[in-house]
Amino acid sequence: MLLDPDSNLAKRLNPVLFLLPAMAIYLVFAIYPTISVVEYSFTDWDGINPKREYIGLANYERLFTDKIFWEAFRNTFVWSGVVIVINVGLGLVIAAMLARVWKARLIIQTAIVLPVVISPMAVATIWRWMYQPKGVVNQVLEAIGLGALKTPWLGSPDAVLYALAFAHSWSTIGLSVIIFLAGLQAVDEDLYDAARVDGATPVQSFRYVTLPALRPVTAVVFILTLTQSFKVFDIVWATTQGGPIRFSEILSTYMYKRGALENDYGYGAAIGVALLVIVSLATIIYMRIQHREEQ
Amino acid sequence: MIGRYALLFSLGVVAILMASPLILTLFSSLKPTTELVNPPWHPPFDITFEHYIRVWTEGKFNRYFLNTLVISTVDAIAMIGIASLAAYALVFMRFRGKSIVQILFLVGLMIPVTAIILPLYSVVRSVGLVNTHLGVIFADLALAVSVFIFLFSSYFLSVPKALHEAARIDGATEFQTYRRVIMPIARPAVVTTALLEFLWSWNDLLLRLLLLPRDEMRTLSVGLLNFQGIMTRDVAGLSSGTMIMALPVVLLFLAFQRHFVRGMTQGAVK
Repeated sequence: MLLDPDSNLAKRLNPVLFLLPAMAIYLVFAIYPTISVVEYSFTDWDGINPKREYIGLANYERLFTDKIFWEAFRNTFVWSGVVIVINVGLGLVIAAMLARVWKARLIIQTAIVLPVVISPMAVATIWRWMYQPKGVVNQVLEAIGLGALKTPWLGSPDAVLYALAFAHSWSTIGLSVIIFLAGLQAVDEDLYDAARVDGATPVQSFRYVTLPALRPVTAVVFILTLTQSFKVFDIVWATTQGGPIRFSEILSTYMYKRGALENDYGYGAAIGVALLVIVSLATIIYMRIQHREEQ
Repeated sequence: MIGRYALLFSLGVVAILMASPLILTLFSSLKPTTELVNPPWHPPFDITFEHYIRVWTEGKFNRYFLNTLVISTVDAIAMIGIASLAAYALVFMRFRGKSIVQILFLVGLMIPVTAIILPLYSVVRSVGLVNTHLGVIFADLALAVSVFIFLFSSYFLSVPKALHEAARIDGATEFQTYRRVIMPIARPAVVTTALLEFLWSWNDLLLRLLLLPRDEMRTLSVGLLNFQGIMTRDVAGLSSGTMIMALPVVLLFLAFQRHFVRGMTQGAVK
């Protein structure tokens, strides 16, 4: 060692050296683009031309009057709604059932959690195939006597958004189940015993013991699912690219089309900022609840 | 105990429904072309690997697989290094501006890659790293490093401060203390980081779609998207491609399920 490890210089240099690799990469490839997206949103720029023109809030004014933006916004909300209903509602029920099972628990849990690790791109390919007019979903509906419900899922203006949100739910519900399971294990067993002594049915003890105890965990899963939905891109891009027409257009695909494909960079950036604001706010709430839980 | 059986039965149905999309995809990837007209839930009579071989060689999935493996492995190893070093400084060292650094990294938990993808592309282009794996690796590291810094920090915080001080009094440098004393204790965090970062890197599409337009640089995600665009009706080929992409992470998950389950809840914000 050339440097005395306890010298003043070493003491001041050490934190810098330890932080430098992470900080350098982080500043250049995460913080700088985040600042830039805000800056670009005030410009009229094609993304290539060295000159970019500042136009103030014009892009944001355009957002407010852009019908397609509001459609994409609405679709993203509907998407979140569908996924929240399934992942929070069904996720909680599945977790509550799993918590009461010992044998076969691992194998059932594995089947439920496995889709979480699969690439959204692979999820898209699988469901694109399942949703084909003569695909698995329609064949199953036919076979169980529900042939009337058959529809070309990804080609139908009414069904496409729900069909894709359902596929997204399939690939994320495992995470909700795990979080709920962890929450359930923290519920005081004595409460259940007390309820049983009072003659409560399993449904009643779920309603009056489990649900209140799980309220914070439910909030966590709710917000987590919301942010996940706002970050979706792959599943839509790899199946419908927002179509037919704009019936499955969500904020991320609209931003990608405007910014990356049509070189309307400044406007794409304004959509990006909208996404950034929504996801950041939701994440702050998420971290607050989790923080409060840990204390 | 009818209740018990009803419970197991419903859970069994849920498990089968959850597993069936994957199982059916596996079926159609293994069916000879003549059997593809059968209903998708018929298992293959004669198992064939012809579609895998075709996709692997002609579909160039061998190239995509290798590219993906290289990026994900480098991502995982580099992430362990940079995140643990930064967390070590934040937990064990005293310096001015520490809280600013902490808040700065906290911000990283809130940045969705989708929102900043356009300027991120500009940055990578301006440093000349478009169409290089290095560009993707830097972007991956930057966008996830916050998660792992906080993961390592929470492990380091549970290490008794006396252990760190003892090592330092014995004359070990900070780096020696980090390597020989602290990191061995933080093994679980190392494993979680390696698995999660590998998984996220393996699965990502958006970054790779923009940053790796050249065919020979592509990853499995972009390769599969492209293959799907060209071979729209090639069900067996698409199923094989999907399985090639999914199988490694499925096996990894089965081998390290406990670590994954814990890691996924800890890294859920990403």
